[in-house]
Amino acid sequence: MKKNRVLIIGLGRLGSSIATLLSVEGEEVLVIDKSEDSFRKLSDRFSGYEITGDVVDADVLENAGIKSAKTVVATTNDDNMNIFIAQICFYIYDVPNIYIRLSDNNKKKLIENTNVKAIYPFELSMDEFKRLREKERI
Amino acid sequence: MRIVIAGGTNEADFLIKMFQKKKHQLTIINADERVCEWLSRENHVSVYNGDPSKEYSLADADVKNADILIALTPRDADNLVICQLALDVFNIKRCVCVVSNPKNVEIFKKLGLKSVISSTYLVAQTIERHSIVDNLIRTLPIEEEKIVLTELEIDPDYSIVGKQLKDIDFPEQTEVNISCIFRDPDVIIPTGKTTIRGGDRLVVVSTPESQEMLIEYVQR
Repeated sequence: MKKNRVLIIGLGRLGSSIATLLSVEGEEVLVIDKSEDSFRKLSDRFSGYEITGDVVDADVLENAGIKSAKTVVATTNDDNMNIFIAQICFYIYDVPNIYIRLSDNNKKKLIENTNVKAIYPFELSMDEFKRLREKERI
Repeated sequence: MRIVIAGGTNEADFLIKMFQKKKHQLTIINADERVCEWLSRENHVSVYNGDPSKEYSLADADVKNADILIALTPRDADNLVICQLALDVFNIKRCVCVVSNPKNVEIFKKLGLKSVISSTYLVAQTIERHSIVDNLIRTLPIEEEKIVLTELEIDPDYSIVGKQLKDIDFPEQTEVNISCIFRDPDVIIPTGKTTIRGGDRLVVVSTPESQEMLIEYVQR
């Protein structure tokens, strides 16, 4: 099977877990973070590449091979940065699969009319709360 | 005009003072409480304390339908989001987005922003323009410097573009004669009816005294 190139930007708990998951599945995973320190969060099972850099400079993305990336995952702890990455991936590099995390649901509007798939921790927590409460009622 | 200034410290202060003089109606938003207090004290204006990249901050500051928004935060991604919210959600007519990374000028334009400014980018352009000008004015003194030949490249935004030679009003006492125009691939010996175009290179005969005035006049 041909490996797909995946870029994961921002290594918090979510980013590093996704990195390990996809690396174990056999994808070619590159992780990018501003701080070298954050690579410690990666599990031993991770076998991809680590790049230290700030993606506010698009050259960092180009050097990481964004032009041939099948998937980009933006999980920095900064919504605006994630939106910026998503828009560059969609409008400039035509990346087929783009995933981002957004804490602020109101920023949904800025990725409308794109193929960007967003994960909203707030909505997920709210749904879970409703589900737990529903159980309690029964 | 209704102007919104989002973020920025000294830059914001400078713009506030300038716009106040011109009696514009200002809305100022800054995420840093201390900067808010300082701007407010300096300029006797109310400053809204909030993150301008959040929709509710812009809503609370009542920026809807403003004429211009200027995004001045130190972070490029924040300024992008501020401008896009302003245009898409708050119906603000024009946005000026300041970026720290000069490479983001081209990128942000591709992402739909029309006015993107980077000080480094401007410096680079200015330097380039100066060196071009210096290269393009070539002069040749003839007859023991009694007359000089000057070659001038015509920028499309010079005011003499579109004028016929006979209508060019050189300042009084300028002794000049446009003797030849290089217009790729042609070389034209002009008459009074020849029209100047952007990209032309003019070869001008003049007295040395008139040369400076000539260059100044043409480059307006």
